[in-house]
Amino acid sequence: MSEHPALVASMSNRARELQKLSGTGVESWKKRRHLLDTKDISAAELETVVTAATICKEMIAGGEGPQPLLTTRTIANLFYENSTRTRSSFELAAKRLGATVINLDIGTSSVAKGETIVDTGRTLAAMAVDAFVQRHNCSGSAMQIARELGDRVHVINAGDGWNGHPTQALLDYFTMHEIRGSLKGAKVAIVGDITHSRVARSNIWLLTAMGADVHIAGPPTLVPPELSSFGVTVHNKLEPAIEGADFIMVLRLQLERQKQGLIPSIGEYRRVYRMDHARLKLAAENAKVMHPGPMNRDLEITHALADDPEKSLVLTQVGNGVAVRMAVLYLLLNKN
Amino acid sequence: MSDKILIKNGLILDPAKNSELKTDIRIAGGEIVEWGTELVQTGEENVIDASGCWISAGFIDIHTHMRDLGQKDKEDIHTGTKAAAAGGFTTVVTMANTDPVIDNGMTLSMYLQKISERAVIEVLPVAAVTKGLAGQELTNMVDLSEMGAIAFSDDGKPIQNMTVLRRALEYARLTGKTIISHAEDLDLSEGGSMHECALSTELGLQGISYTSETVAVARELEMVRLTQAPYHFTHISCASSLDLIRRAKVEGLSVTGDVTPHHLALTVDEVAEYNTNAKMNPPLRTGRDRSELINAIKDGTITAIATDHAPHTKLEKSRPFTEAPFGITGLETAFSVVYQALVLEKHISILELIKLLTIGPARILDLPVPSLSAGSPANLCIIDPRIQWTYDTSHGYSKSTNSPWDQKKLTGRVVCTIYKGQIVYRSEAITAH
Repeated sequence: MSEHPALVASMSNRARELQKLSGTGVESWKKRRHLLDTKDISAAELETVVTAATICKEMIAGGEGPQPLLTTRTIANLFYENSTRTRSSFELAAKRLGATVINLDIGTSSVAKGETIVDTGRTLAAMAVDAFVQRHNCSGSAMQIARELGDRVHVINAGDGWNGHPTQALLDYFTMHEIRGSLKGAKVAIVGDITHSRVARSNIWLLTAMGADVHIAGPPTLVPPELSSFGVTVHNKLEPAIEGADFIMVLRLQLERQKQGLIPSIGEYRRVYRMDHARLKLAAENAKVMHPGPMNRDLEITHALADDPEKSLVLTQVGNGVAVRMAVLYLLLNKN
Repeated sequence: MSDKILIKNGLILDPAKNSELKTDIRIAGGEIVEWGTELVQTGEENVIDASGCWISAGFIDIHTHMRDLGQKDKEDIHTGTKAAAAGGFTTVVTMANTDPVIDNGMTLSMYLQKISERAVIEVLPVAAVTKGLAGQELTNMVDLSEMGAIAFSDDGKPIQNMTVLRRALEYARLTGKTIISHAEDLDLSEGGSMHECALSTELGLQGISYTSETVAVARELEMVRLTQAPYHFTHISCASSLDLIRRAKVEGLSVTGDVTPHHLALTVDEVAEYNTNAKMNPPLRTGRDRSELINAIKDGTITAIATDHAPHTKLEKSRPFTEAPFGITGLETAFSVVYQALVLEKHISILELIKLLTIGPARILDLPVPSLSAGSPANLCIIDPRIQWTYDTSHGYSKSTNSPWDQKKLTGRVVCTIYKGQIVYRSEAITAH
């Protein structure tokens, strides 16, 4: 993976296949400037992501080196909030497409130093960076950058506060789609801390739009009842949410929620909400468990279930993450 | 410039007499000297042709933040009063949450000095109820009152400790000065940045529920009942608080309330794209709250409109939504916004609106009742209801630009403001010769 893109002799057949993709979904991605959330992703665009990610996954599996698909493009990974996993995934995806990547782990202290995210963005735009992959702890920060600098750069939201994490939802969708095909009518349970979860939100917008039967469950202090107005079924007890479910997405419980007084104790949470093999029996016969990571093993999900190759999709999700991000970067940044 | 002005052909709006009268007004020596039809211009008189315009006593805003002393990057008394004059105001009441806080005699006298140097209209300072707005120790309320504090408030922060509020109210009976409440329960609102509703859930922003305001209103009303002191609730934002204030007024408590133009005109939907110029405290609420605020104006529960003009720099407002400060500017747009939201939408008459901007606020703080009769100070504004205009903060008078009405079309505009017989604001839209 270390070769400079210019040294890559020729393009693989799969890369050519990616270039030849056509249709309304591809056209729609070409017209799109940003990926801020899943709310405005059309069915055609989603289908295109699935097709493109399937090819990208084969490229990775085939051991292909960087392909000269985005050699003229420069992508900045702007991470104001630490995330080894998502940042690495985006970095690998960009490099596999032959793009130039720079990583900026800025940390939230830059605000204290007086530089706003718009200033930072403007500086990078002045260096002719084409796209920002931005992670920030404030909801709305991706939209803000797109509004301020959107005519100069493409913005890909890699997580903004509690609001959105569209590539996670896309890779979750891709992962479920690999197993089941269309998710129309599939029961998907999202369990845990919904209130503070951008993964939950982006998944809810995407899954409800694609006709899945979405159920959410978690303590009343961590599940906003208003979500029922967005077409999901809200539960506080875990069991009715996972009963007959095809997929169960378990969310990470931040330990600080206890200090904030949102849950009385970690021990009680574990007893009432932890996913394990026994509870999984309530779900559909071939139900799968997912987790966006990083996991608190034995808190929200048992060690055994997380590592069960028959039931757990956790590592599949991680692997698919690179393929889906390759697809997104390629579809968004290839305007030829 | 001559201090003699003749305003011709205007329609005088006088809510005290519930009258609209077409007449000319002669001003000299800072006072209104004469009314009459067909007044004739004397030699050195400035004549303003107010044909088709309304003339009102100068507006009074009982809730502004001028940011002088230590936050002059946001606003100062000069720019703030220029902005107020452009909005038709001739009196503004400024809150005590300056830097440093106006909680002692020395700071108040420094502030009064700034007013005398910089203000183009009347500025009446509020002093803090508690030292450092910390909600613990009372300020020297009698001293501050005698030095010129017009009222007392910790605005920006609530008084959380009811024993402290009780003592402040007991002292308010001694000073005769009203205490102005920023009603908020900080435990309930902690971490919130917009109204709690489906939209806050959708946007992934922590909400501020009605309860943070209404719980505070409820317990503060108990203290008012206990002490029987005069008390004013500023920037009331939701229906549930109005119910409590309405009942307290029926009971006979000396309680009053004001609302802001933004709560009367806008709803939480403005926040949809993380617009930091729609972020203020209390937050914009729902359409139902907006209707209930209008109903509360109609039934007399609310008797004043106050802007809560809260300038912040572009840098501060360009932070992400959750990190941007609360508050918007409002002086320059107040009249046009409420004219549109209340009069053009046929909720109240223009005379009723003028009352909410003049007599209403004056009564709340026991200020002289504004009047345009002969012998009164010449504090007035001329309004052209026909003007359609686009507010452009880059050409505004305030130092700050944090307005949700920037680049928005508005109807009806103050075209001239006169304070003590001097023209302190005149738009190009009105001719003078």
